[in-house]
Amino acid sequence: MSQKITFLLGNKLTEIDFSNSVYTPTTTVLQYLRSLSGHKGVKEGCAEGDCGACTVVIAENKNGKLEYRAYDSCIIFLPMLHGKQLLTVENLGNSTNLHPVQQAMIETDGSQCGFCTPGFVMSMFAVFKQFKKPTLAEINDALTGNLCRCTGYRPIIEATQRACKLEGKDKFSEEEPEIIKMLECINTKTAISLNTGKQNYFIPFTKAKALSLKAKYPDALVINGATDIALRVTKKKEFLPMLLDLSHIAGLKKIQTKSDAVIFGSGACMEDVRMKSKKIFPALYEMLSVFGSKQIRNKATLGGNIGSASPIGDTPPVLMAYDASVCVENASSSREIKLREFVVSYRTTQLKNDELITSVIIPKLSEGTIVKSYKVSKRKDMDISTVSAGFRLKIESGIVKEIALYYGGMAALTKCAAKAENYLLGKEWTREHVEQTMTLIDEEFTPISDARSGADARKIMARNLLLKFWSETK
Amino acid sequence: MTTYHESAKYHVTGEAVYIDDIQINDQLLHGFVYTSPHAHARIISFDLEEAKKVKGVHAILSHKDIPGHNNMGPVFHDEPALAFEKVECIGQAVFLIAAESEEAALEAKKVIKIEYEILPAVVTIEESIEKNMLLQPERKIECGNVEEAFKNVPHILEGELITGGQEHWYLETQICLCVPGEGNDIKAYSSTQNPMETQAIIAEVLGVQKNEVEVEMRRMGGAFGGKETQGNHLAAWAALLVHHTKRPVKVRLQRDEDQLITGKRHPFLFKYKAGFDNDGKILAIDVLHYANGGYASDLSMAILERAMLHAENSYFIPNMRIIGKAMKTNLPSNVAFRGFGGPQGMACVETIIDKIARILKKDAAEIRYKNFYGLNERNTTPYGQTVENNRLYVLWEQLMNSSSYEKRKKDIEKFNNENEFYKKGIALTPVKFGISFTSSFLNQAGALVNIYTDGTLLVNHGGSEMGQGLNTKIQQIAALEMGVSIDKIKVNATNTSKVPNTSATAASSGSDLNGAAVKDAIEKLKYRLIPVAAKELRKNNVPPTDEKAIVFENNVVYDSQNPDRKMSFLQLVSLAYIQQVSMSATGFYKTPDIHFDRATGKGKPFHYFAFGMAVSEVQVDILTGRVQLLRSDILHDVGESIIPNIDKGQVEGAFIQGVGWVTSEEMKYDAKGYLLNHSPDTYKIPSIQDIPADFRVELLKGYPNPNAIRKSKAVGEPPIMLAFSVWLAIKDAISSIKNHKIEPDFCIPATNENILLSIEKLPASVSKTI
Repeated sequence: MSQKITFLLGNKLTEIDFSNSVYTPTTTVLQYLRSLSGHKGVKEGCAEGDCGACTVVIAENKNGKLEYRAYDSCIIFLPMLHGKQLLTVENLGNSTNLHPVQQAMIETDGSQCGFCTPGFVMSMFAVFKQFKKPTLAEINDALTGNLCRCTGYRPIIEATQRACKLEGKDKFSEEEPEIIKMLECINTKTAISLNTGKQNYFIPFTKAKALSLKAKYPDALVINGATDIALRVTKKKEFLPMLLDLSHIAGLKKIQTKSDAVIFGSGACMEDVRMKSKKIFPALYEMLSVFGSKQIRNKATLGGNIGSASPIGDTPPVLMAYDASVCVENASSSREIKLREFVVSYRTTQLKNDELITSVIIPKLSEGTIVKSYKVSKRKDMDISTVSAGFRLKIESGIVKEIALYYGGMAALTKCAAKAENYLLGKEWTREHVEQTMTLIDEEFTPISDARSGADARKIMARNLLLKFWSETK
Repeated sequence: MTTYHESAKYHVTGEAVYIDDIQINDQLLHGFVYTSPHAHARIISFDLEEAKKVKGVHAILSHKDIPGHNNMGPVFHDEPALAFEKVECIGQAVFLIAAESEEAALEAKKVIKIEYEILPAVVTIEESIEKNMLLQPERKIECGNVEEAFKNVPHILEGELITGGQEHWYLETQICLCVPGEGNDIKAYSSTQNPMETQAIIAEVLGVQKNEVEVEMRRMGGAFGGKETQGNHLAAWAALLVHHTKRPVKVRLQRDEDQLITGKRHPFLFKYKAGFDNDGKILAIDVLHYANGGYASDLSMAILERAMLHAENSYFIPNMRIIGKAMKTNLPSNVAFRGFGGPQGMACVETIIDKIARILKKDAAEIRYKNFYGLNERNTTPYGQTVENNRLYVLWEQLMNSSSYEKRKKDIEKFNNENEFYKKGIALTPVKFGISFTSSFLNQAGALVNIYTDGTLLVNHGGSEMGQGLNTKIQQIAALEMGVSIDKIKVNATNTSKVPNTSATAASSGSDLNGAAVKDAIEKLKYRLIPVAAKELRKNNVPPTDEKAIVFENNVVYDSQNPDRKMSFLQLVSLAYIQQVSMSATGFYKTPDIHFDRATGKGKPFHYFAFGMAVSEVQVDILTGRVQLLRSDILHDVGESIIPNIDKGQVEGAFIQGVGWVTSEEMKYDAKGYLLNHSPDTYKIPSIQDIPADFRVELLKGYPNPNAIRKSKAVGEPPIMLAFSVWLAIKDAISSIKNHKIEPDFCIPATNENILLSIEKLPASVSKTI
């Protein structure tokens, strides 16, 4: 198996041979770029994907067209670039030959201290390439992952609107066929195994290969978006000896619509899941719309969010409310597990050492069933839930026929308010009944106090969310 | 033509060079700080020998390795560069490491041996007050007769207010790169707002002369006060490591380190008593300001002083007593932050007004208006300065009208009556902010302007560019004063060897002071060039050209009485060079006629006041505590703006930073004094979706400032306090739940958590609507 990865830096074919390199497979793209003399524009603001100062754009060949997306380079491992085009602010233009988004940033006073600016420019460039005529909401959404402490953002919105009048036409449009040709020449068939002597990093291109590698190396740490795992390197300074990177497996990114369900490949990124859910699973769409930032959603996967089994993961409550299942496979067999049974305790799942989560199955709702999701966080966007909830309700002739109340952030794992559910089942869906469950919810949970909120407020939030659900479904 | 930020084209292309981008040779070592894990402890012993043996480690230093003074406190010498005998907060620097890589430094950190005896730590201001742990003696400002006044007031209200801290969250974390030279020479590239003080601290810790230390600062990736003194710390550490390794050393804090180690905006606790009449006119205020200073003095006394000098904001209080105490706690020493105590001081009087309105069942905006400083009377501050050129009334009139305040107030009442789970609120708040350093001697600045033979100018001044556009304004001022186009002017990196003995770029005074110094230098140059021009233009001409008629404009120098007699600026410069005329001049400026006596609490500390006013409307989801900022209207006074787009950027940016302070930015410590919110994961500054959905910012037109360069006004800090309009609009919304009959429990910041707890505390009995 190959020791090398190959990608385009701008339009320059670049190879990194990890058997003889100053870089390791867990070197981040940010660290790599900052080590080069010509790419100092990319900045480290937080090294955890929360500020966007390190934003780059990665272009991928999607059926003969380049798809440009923004990412936080601080939490991307170098091998994830394999087969793709990496663009930084320097690739867009220079001070004597500006790209339209750069020009617009100057003309609207979009930079003050300038440190966040290259990151903003790259997020704006992704908008410029993705949308012909972006709405204000689309612009805001695309720039939420970039923090600016100087401007108050208004001029940056204006700059994006101004640049987008060109409807995405720029030098990259002209270069596109050439770039695609170059990308097509890069190996994406034979699995890559990077071995530095200390560290192993596997890049399979098929699910079958991934499963066989997992069987052979059951201790390999599985990553896909790595938006969580990368922090173990950048923040906790951990050394990760063996990684199995699923991010290059196209088969795991597929989203299939069946008559009674939608099957999301575990490697589908949150942004793709979000767009797919908009009409079919609006409560999931709502939750994903306040999930991380666009940079994070372009990278994070549904499988990862479930697999990490975090008690404050945003998607499990709503997925449980939709009665989702996960499909897990090993090299020889597969099994389907209800998500509500999949997580067994704090950050622990039923997944065995030789298994991978391969898909998430969400059944379509039957007529008359309502699912809603709620997220309470200190800041609406780019924040982790203080308390989240996924609720399911079916009412027939005014009587509660079915109810499920899942909460995140209230216990060591996503937990349902079983006493309240039992109380409400078979009763009329009235405010009086709902208010009577408030003490039951209090009894059900003993949340913790932490950096996000005190336990008292968490309890208030949990109660209020049920009242909110009632007010929106009465 | 619009003037854009002088660095914008470098910002947007990534070409702008910040300290971490400086290309340095492979001799560079990386400096790391080993910090205290305890809030208060005695250092019993330590052993660095094993750590020093780690491969790739070049030096590990303790306080014993400091050749000069072990101090980096700017005013009071109570902040050691490296801990000596004891540690007094989590994150206090104990050792320094110079290593070839982060891995080597981490390895060394693991084998450093240190033994502590843990001592009781005071981590809350309440406990510090109880133990009377003053950092420095208390201060007082008093006017009228407070005791007497309270005997006769119709209403008295008393209460407490807490305002929280705020992390600067400059995008560029603290950084310094030091490069050794010959002998004792050392050059520091420091992200500092105060290069002169950075130079002084390096000289002190190394025990060398100031003329051996050069500090350069091209630009900072944001500062907001956080690099007024703390840049010195990094510089001291880097310089010490250079001294011991004789190699270049760069110390850059990673984000979590930066948030854990560095100081914040001072949290305050206020205890107040206010007396007022039936009309809502305030007759007396007695207020105690407690500032949480952290473990060392830093600038806490100056910050406390500014809080006290803004305790009355825009209101005439005939009898007022302000007592200020800076309290010591076992937390990192709190520091300057945009507004420098002003926002804290004002928060209390704004709370008082808000409460008076609720008690009297009147609109708070009306109560504010009634208490505004008068134009010709009721215009003396508690510290004895007359409020001149009062813009409050013109701002009020224009803003009440442009914001449709009255109509929206009614619409909101209707909305609130019709909606149970969503409540709206609105508030108008004013700002009056004093401009000048309150330590009067600091109000001085220098400049050095060079004209080169190609007709270009290099302008050096003592201010520092942190994004605020200072260098752009300086460029504009220089171009206008010299009569050349802006492309002929380059503003140099701030450097202590070019302009010495400068003050921090702080107190919003950067353009006022440095702009005036640059003007002074250019006037000197013109004084030398005019005779050259006049002599040349009068050649063979009758009547001869008068020197007084020489005008510099648009790259041309001409005789205004005979406009056809002209020459290009370049021609003049070439001629002056041949005629052996010096084309380099220094400039200087000191603010006239300001003074403040700390002992009596009286004087004229401010050269002038900046004014502003804002109306904000919010919607609060009372089930989740989520706040939506629906609309903010701002009208701000910057005199005659030098560059309106730059000033507008300051107003908008400061306002949003203020919105962060009063809503989502919150510091939580555990019982041991450990900061829980030490990364952007849990510390939440405003994002793009947190700005007002409808954001209308205007600069007041037609009111030039007679007291500053080109009739302009300082703008850096004042607009941050306009965010009180958002804070009090949230309170208005919560208050509407009980039809404004109950005073909600409220503090800064109004996080969703605090909002929910505030709603929870409302008594169930009063005409409950939910």
